[in-house]
Amino acid sequence: MKDLTPPRETLDPIELASRDEIAALQLDRLRWSLRHAYENVPLYRAKFDAAGVGPDDLTHLSDLEKFPFTEKEDLRQSYPFGMFAVPREDIVRVHASSGTTGKPTVVGYTTGDIDRWGDLVARCLRASGVRRGDMVHNAYGYGLFTGGLGAHYGIERLGATVVPVSGGMTARQVQLIEDFRPKAITVTPSYMLNILEEYRNQGLYPRAASLEVGIFGAEPWTGGMRAAIEDAFDMHAVDIYGLSEVMGPGVANECVETKDGLHIWEDHFYPEIIDPETGAVLEDGQEGELVFTTLTKEGMPVIRYRTRDLTRLLPGTARTMRRMEKITGRSDDMIILRGVNVFPTQVEERVLAVAGLAPLFQIELFRDGNLDAMRVHVEAMPDLDPTGRQSVGAALTKGIKDMIGVSCHVVVADPGGVERSQGKARRVVDNRRARDT
Amino acid sequence: MNDLIPPQVMGTPVEMTSRDGIEAMQLDRVRWSLQHAYGHVRLYRDRFDAAGMHPDDLRDLADLHRFPFVQKDDLRRSHPLGMLAIPRNRIARFHASSGTAGTPTIVAYSAADMEVWASLMARSLSAAGVRSGDILHNAHGYGIFTGGLGVHQGAERLGVGIMPASSAVVLRHVQLIEDLKPRAITATPSYLLTILEEYERQGLDARASSLGIGILGAEPWTERMRAQIEEGFGIDAVDLYGLSEIIGPGVACEFREAKDGPHIWEDHFYPEIIDPDTGVPLPDGEVGELVITTLTKEGMPMIRYRTGDITRLLPGTMSPMRRLDRISSRTDDVIIIHGVTITPYEVEERVLSMPGLAPMFRIELTRRNSVDQMCLHVEALPGMDGDDQLHVLEQKMVRDIKGMLDVDCVVAVAKPGGMERSQGKAKRVTDQRGALAIPGG
Repeated sequence: MKDLTPPRETLDPIELASRDEIAALQLDRLRWSLRHAYENVPLYRAKFDAAGVGPDDLTHLSDLEKFPFTEKEDLRQSYPFGMFAVPREDIVRVHASSGTTGKPTVVGYTTGDIDRWGDLVARCLRASGVRRGDMVHNAYGYGLFTGGLGAHYGIERLGATVVPVSGGMTARQVQLIEDFRPKAITVTPSYMLNILEEYRNQGLYPRAASLEVGIFGAEPWTGGMRAAIEDAFDMHAVDIYGLSEVMGPGVANECVETKDGLHIWEDHFYPEIIDPETGAVLEDGQEGELVFTTLTKEGMPVIRYRTRDLTRLLPGTARTMRRMEKITGRSDDMIILRGVNVFPTQVEERVLAVAGLAPLFQIELFRDGNLDAMRVHVEAMPDLDPTGRQSVGAALTKGIKDMIGVSCHVVVADPGGVERSQGKARRVVDNRRARDT
Repeated sequence: MNDLIPPQVMGTPVEMTSRDGIEAMQLDRVRWSLQHAYGHVRLYRDRFDAAGMHPDDLRDLADLHRFPFVQKDDLRRSHPLGMLAIPRNRIARFHASSGTAGTPTIVAYSAADMEVWASLMARSLSAAGVRSGDILHNAHGYGIFTGGLGVHQGAERLGVGIMPASSAVVLRHVQLIEDLKPRAITATPSYLLTILEEYERQGLDARASSLGIGILGAEPWTERMRAQIEEGFGIDAVDLYGLSEIIGPGVACEFREAKDGPHIWEDHFYPEIIDPDTGVPLPDGEVGELVITTLTKEGMPMIRYRTGDITRLLPGTMSPMRRLDRISSRTDDVIIIHGVTITPYEVEERVLSMPGLAPMFRIELTRRNSVDQMCLHVEALPGMDGDDQLHVLEQKMVRDIKGMLDVDCVVAVAKPGGMERSQGKAKRVTDQRGALAIPGG
């Protein structure tokens, strides 16, 4: 893999500013954001009033903990335009969540918001080792989802060439990579595995592909997956983080020279880690739920938005801004199995640790009598014989039992037997409720 | 000052207010474009040399017809980067054409090309009556094809709020239109009819929707379809023209006030009409194949690109820039059956004029015992699902096609909802005659 460390002079000055400078900027911007939200969004006014706090009550950054949280449900209740802090005519872009779990949510951006979003994604790409004039294959889905257009604007802002492929049509993706020879790819890690499989199906050698770096996000993934992708394509795999309620992709990104967690762009987002049960703010280094307050968003500011992502805050390394550790899981896709908390990423880690298994899995939850049970569907590598399959199945069962503490059934399917990602992977199929009543 | 250009049509240069001004600007720009192509693209240099032509041979605009054509096949043969006229690292964007037939072709844009595209798409939307502060529901597919992003960038340039709906399921389009209350929608006309049908299926009144304007394109459509869409939604339906090889959507657009054919943005594109068989240029007003030369494109200039679209050039009404007549057909989807040449456009006219039929059709061409057969698939409107009714419709349609187009055909009328819906560009014709032909026979 090539050294893609960006020259320091190409970074935004704030990326190298001192902690004091960053904190001073945050305090100014936080005051503005609280006031902007309070004065223009009835929901925030009502919440602040009910909690007996006002924008003037913030003297130090730590005072933020007095302010109430915002949750996904608040966005649903305010659908479609209730969270907007500017007149409707000043909103130049609307994105919408899929609404698969209940009412859809809508997010809105001003021209300034779109501009800053482009700048921040460009910063992420630069941190990943992409430069002006490079070519980027963008396989995040375009449209309502923020992934595709979010990455697109950043690539454009950096002055790189965009190939706006969007999701799906895996054979076409491979053809375009081979024809254009892009240096970088932006895509979900699970879909990258589909592309890898298509390379092999076509008898192509993925390590010979032009790709030097992949910027992967939109779903939790593990260090094991990183190693698998880096090895298969002989490329760097870095993590990008974002969520549409806060902005979209580009809230935080790993630096290619360290790959030690994602630097949060603290000049635009103020992070906190809280205890998901009590809501109490935790010290840096402790694990809990990530909460974000936007510092510069005009169209739809969010104050203490609960992301449901579980991680911890770590000091800066390649940049002064703090890092968040790779997301271990989301509180809402945590599986509680006989009292034990299980995250799909833990299962992924175990699957990738067993040689002979493809880097794919799907967890099925079902009722076994009165008990909840978990079945893990995995796939044997094509060259594995039946005996080999039995032993990898047993190894995975043991790995999961040892690491996570639950017994599960492992089903080793034929190659091609596990559902493929078409964007975000569907890691958990919960059939428990289906059999209830 | 010339009062032909409504002041709201943004980005129209002052030279474009008279034919003399237009032609003077075009002459300068054609010269630049010929030199740019000849100087940087091998294919153009070889072609010009073979034809004994040099960019300096252009003295006036009429000289352009002495230069050779380029065709879609030239782009395919130059795949992927052979048509680029600037270094690869100056390309800001790649797209692929969404041709309904054959392998996709690659198109490329410099940063300046992207600027021109956004401004022309903004001008198009502006001509269509869209205003800064409106919400636009963009139902063109986003991604490698030019439709979605092309419209998107123009809308952004105009200061319009964009809902990038892309290829969401039809249910979701209806929900988003109802909830976000856009004033304008961009889509293919056939897909807008699919949305209309979903409104009806859900028992919603499409005429009560917030939509005021539909900017429709990316496939040929007819005046009857326009009437149907305008009636169904209570909107103005405006024709937008473009093709990826030239730039994407935004080459020409109708004015909402006139709806008399798309005005072609002649400051960036030079149009000609030729006889598709002989290649001879035809005077304005005569029907033939549209040929376009790009005047400002850096990344991938096109010199006399044969669009395959059959139309004619008409004088400007809302602007001194000329209009395209409605695209009546494409050179490559003319159907020749039993020695008769017909176009999908003509068939569509017949279908839409038949009471009791839904506004959709598909033509299937087969060959049995060396006899060609055309089967027309259509669908009955709700309430027409009795076997007798379907049978009567079939007979009427067979007679109508024979009477109007002089073609014998088989008509299959599906029950309401029985036909596959357009998911973007409607595929009108399936020709399986070649597949069944006897080799050497």
